Parts: sequence; structure tokens; C-alpha cells
Amino acid sequence: MQEFAEDAAVILAERGRGLSRRRLLAAATALGIAPSLAARAAVPDVVLCNWGGDAIKAMTDAFVVPYEKATGGKMVIDGSGPANGKLRAMVEAKHVIWDMCDSGVAGIGELGPLGLLEPIDYSIVDRSHILPEFGYKYGVVNYMFSSVLAWDTTQVKTTLSPADFFDLKKFPGKRMIRKDSQGMLELALLADGVAIDKLYPLDQERALKKIASIKDELLYWTTGAQSQDLLRSGEAVMGWLWHTRANLLKQDTKGRIDWSFKGGLIQPGLWTVPKGNPAGKQAMVAIATLQAVPGQITLLGAMGNGPANPLASSSVPADLMSVDPGSPANLAVQARISAPWYEANYGASLKAFLDMVSS
Amino acid sequence: MGLAAPQAAMAPGLLSAAGRERLAFMLLVAPALLFAGAFYFLPIAQVLWISVSEPRPGLGNYAQLFTSTSIARVLATTARICAITTAITLVCSYAVAYALTHARPTIRRLLTIGVLLPLWVSVLVRAFAWMALLRREGLVNTALLASGLIDHPLGLIWNEFGVVLGMVHYMLPYGILPMAVQMRQIDPALAAASRGLGAGAFETFWRVFLPLSLPGLIGAGVLVFIFSLGFYVTPVLLGGGRTIMVAEYISVQIMDLLRWGTGTMLATTLILAILVALGLLSRVVDLRQLFGAR
Repeated sequence: MQEFAEDAAVILAERGRGLSRRRLLAAATALGIAPSLAARAAVPDVVLCNWGGDAIKAMTDAFVVPYEKATGGKMVIDGSGPANGKLRAMVEAKHVIWDMCDSGVAGIGELGPLGLLEPIDYSIVDRSHILPEFGYKYGVVNYMFSSVLAWDTTQVKTTLSPADFFDLKKFPGKRMIRKDSQGMLELALLADGVAIDKLYPLDQERALKKIASIKDELLYWTTGAQSQDLLRSGEAVMGWLWHTRANLLKQDTKGRIDWSFKGGLIQPGLWTVPKGNPAGKQAMVAIATLQAVPGQITLLGAMGNGPANPLASSSVPADLMSVDPGSPANLAVQARISAPWYEANYGASLKAFLDMVSS
Repeated sequence: MGLAAPQAAMAPGLLSAAGRERLAFMLLVAPALLFAGAFYFLPIAQVLWISVSEPRPGLGNYAQLFTSTSIARVLATTARICAITTAITLVCSYAVAYALTHARPTIRRLLTIGVLLPLWVSVLVRAFAWMALLRREGLVNTALLASGLIDHPLGLIWNEFGVVLGMVHYMLPYGILPMAVQMRQIDPALAAASRGLGAGAFETFWRVFLPLSLPGLIGAGVLVFIFSLGFYVTPVLLGGGRTIMVAEYISVQIMDLLRWGTGTMLATTLILAILVALGLLSRVVDLRQLFGAR
């Protein structure tokens, strides 16, 4: 299934660089000259695996250029996508080519326990530059994204509350949710009245029962593009989707589709390091270098992915503040995902979710 | 068989004339066999191996076929959708193949182009085309609403109807072509003889043409059913995510959850089901003829 990071790459591919060309160019110019060849030879090259498309360009500006400037090393982006299955095959064949991967909660939860990832070295990666709960043993936050509620203002005349998602009498019509347990269980419980800080351990049964209560009206999306299409074309009157897609919808439809972080779930995009990565500790150095604020803001401008470093919020440009999932105001109204819960329960929860969908 | 050639090559002097001929034949096919062995059978053997060795050795993964309600449901959905798709495809394909066989050469050429053209359109593009046609504000619903035939948009996609429609559309060439090949071999004189002996048009079809075309019908049916088993994109896109077939389930197990044991078990089960189907098929029709090898 498509993870958030993959969709972020797709968005860029669709958009070209229209949204952020000015910012990207400014960032690229500001970063100055390339380091000398002699300095480069001293450190091993780092291969960053992301989901391709124009995310290669965005991460080059946000991450590669500052990294090469700061360390004198070389960073190469491989856009082939670090899917769990691929990474496992690579590590087990002892032919690892990636040093750091643009992954997520499902990545560390499934790969970590199988011993397929290197633990993050927090003597190199700075814990004070992340929200503490998003620094895990096998992954550390890279950027933030949210699962949020969006609605069609021509069908729904008021600002929707999370609970309204399940009110078919007041707001008839199809809804769409992601075909995944991650995020959807939380949004169901939040809509059912669970407080944002009381979600975990998730009451999976309650969440699935809640979702099943409107099953006849549900459509399930698998790619971010699909979620955007279903709302834009009027197939669904409301839906749960990634904030990047919700924001594009609002821009594209000139406000016909509206959305809110309220009752949403903030999730971390995570750097992971495959077991036996070729550059060794240099991957940790690279991750630490990419914690710097300017690059993270460049990424927010280019992709909508929120800065992972809390110190960034004061530097976020005013026009991006409202769409930054990690800004203090937005953070306050959202729940935060618990990766440990998914490490223990993702397989079973996804199975139960798919059972609910297909029964 | 891949190993037979080098073994035989070690002792050529012991071979009779027939044996030498056989050896020459083996040497000729050896490259193809080696290629198939290295790039096809070996990976499949690996898949089979994972299915009996992960997460622990034994047939635990296969036991899930009987104990897991989730897997049973996915397999049942797959079988049901494939059966419905095959049935509808066969009926439509038979009509087209019949017309194709009996049409004048010009018409036949046009029909053939019509059958073949969609083969070059990707399954993804076709799914999006169906969406544009069938969605709430799509062409079909808009036209029906405007003509006053309906008051509310019909639910034409995001359900099994949409899935089956998309799959039948994809499968039609695979149904039509083998049937048409087979029908063309039916001697037209037989129909003429039947009419000459006093049978009507329908009786001639029912008692002469249909029985003679039955092998093509069965062959096309098995072929379409086998192809349908592996469908992934069409159910995901046109089913609104509700119809979960086995290919999607395997992908989740392998790529997302790393339950390679379960994923490879399902893949192996699919392959076995296909082999059984082909085995049954080979008793009814000549496979080489069906797949165009002669």
C-alpha cells in the first residue's frame, strides 16, 4: 500500500515546482559553493532512499546541498522507494545499498523487530531537536504529517466536528477513509469522543465497530491521488486523508473543499538505517545534519511536510504556518501517534481492518 | 530435465541411434530449459520454500487456509468474482467469436481490430476510463439523469458491479480469440448438412455448432478464470476498496507486513490452483492449439 512518503513524492511530480519554485531557488542560491574534493574523500558517500519523482529535487535542495556543505561528504538520492519488502530482501541478501530511508511507523514496527534496521545512535542524532516521543530505537523523525478530516462545503454547510463524520442523518453521503488501520482507528476513536491524550492503548474493537457503523457509505482510498480525486469529483462528501492532499484540494477548489487539523492525528515520517548499511556511522551523521532548521523549512515549502525540529516553528514563514502540522497551534488540537503500539499490533490491526472492509 | 542433458553427454558412446537423436534434441532445447530453470523455476521454488520455512518450518502457513477466516473470505471473494467474470465474459465472447467466424472478410477484419485494440491499453487507463463513465457525475449518470430515466445517480462503481465490469472488459479478448480460432475449424459443410437434413437454424446451432465449439468454450473459460485470479488494480480502483482479492492480500503480506510465509503460501496456492485447472483443461482440449503453438 502507498505510504505517506511515497504520496508526497507523487504530489511533487504532479505539481511541478509551481508552489515553491521561488523558495527552492532562494534556498539553493543561499547555500553557496560545493566543498573541495579533498574533504569529500575523507567521508563515505551516503545513499538516501526516498520515493522518487520530484521528491528527489525537493530533498536535494532541503537535505543534500546542506549536508554536502556541512560535512564535505557526498549524498546521493535513490528514488526507488524503500518498501518494507524490498528492504528486507536487500538486508537478507547482504547486499545493502541504502544508508538512510524515508520511512514511517509501519517501517520501524515491522522491520525493527526482525533485526533489519540499525538502531539510531542518539549520541550523534540530537534528541533536543525532535519531539521526544518521535525518537525511536530504530527510527527518528524526519518530518511531520497529519491525517485530517476534510469536507465538501457545497454538501456540508457548517464546519464539521470529528463526530459529524458518523452522523449520516445530519450529513448524508459517501465518506472516504484510507484502507489502513494506522491512523483510521485513531480518527474513529477521536470522533467517538476519546480525548486526544487518552487514545493508547487503542480500543481496536471499539474503533472498528464505529467505522463499521457507516460501512455502507464508505469508500477506501489507497493512494493520496485517489483521496484527492474522490473529494474533488464529488464522489465523497467528506473524508479522512493526509493534510498535504487536503491542502492541495482547498487550493485547487478555491475553498470548496475545506479541512481542519482538529481531531486529526499527527504522524512522523521516519529516517531508518538498514542493517549493515555501506556508509556505517556516517548515516547517523547525515541524519543529525538534516536536523538543521533551514532545510526542514525548505521541505515544508516544497512538499508540505512539516518540520520535525520544534525549533523550526519560529522560523516558519507566515503563509505556511497554518498548514504546518507541527506548529504549536495545530499540534495542540491533534493526537500523536504511538509507534510502539503499532510495533506490537500493526499486523493484527490491519488484518482486522481488512476483515471489516471485506465482510 | 535441465540436468538430463549434461549427464547424457558424459557417455555418448553408449547411446543407440535413437538415443543420439534424443541427445541432439536435448542439447537443442537445453538453453531454453536452463533459462527457464534459472529465471522461472528457481524463483518459484524459492517462493515454495519460504512458504514451508517461515516463520517456522512446517505446514503452519498452509493450515491458515483452513483456520483463518480472513484468508477464507479473501479466497471466497476471489473465487466468486472470478466465476462471475468468467461466466459473463464467456457469454459475450461467444457471441463476438460467432460473429467473427461467420462475418464477411471485411467485417471480420474490422471486428478483429476491435477485439485486439484494447489489448494495448493499460489496465490502469481502462480503470480510469470506466471511472469517468460511471461515477456519480460521470457520463452515464449525467445522461440518464438528463433524460429523466432516473432521479438519483446510480451506484455503478465502488462496488462489485464495477469490479466485474472492469474485469470482463479486460478479459474479453482472452475469451474471444481462442474461441474464434476453434470455431473457424468447424467445417461449415456440417451446418449445411444439418440444414439439408431438415433442422432449423436454432436446432443446427444447438445440436451441431455448439457441441463442436464446446472445447473452445471450455478452454477460453479456464484461460479467463486463470487470468482473473491475479487481478489487482481493477478491484482496488473500481471496487472503492471494498472488494479485496487475493493478489492485493498477497501484496500487503509481502511488501507491508513482511509476513512472507503467509504471502508465499497464498502465491503457491494460486499456482497450484492454476496447475490443477490447466491439468483439467488439458483433458478436454489440446493446450498447444489453445495457446497458439500449432
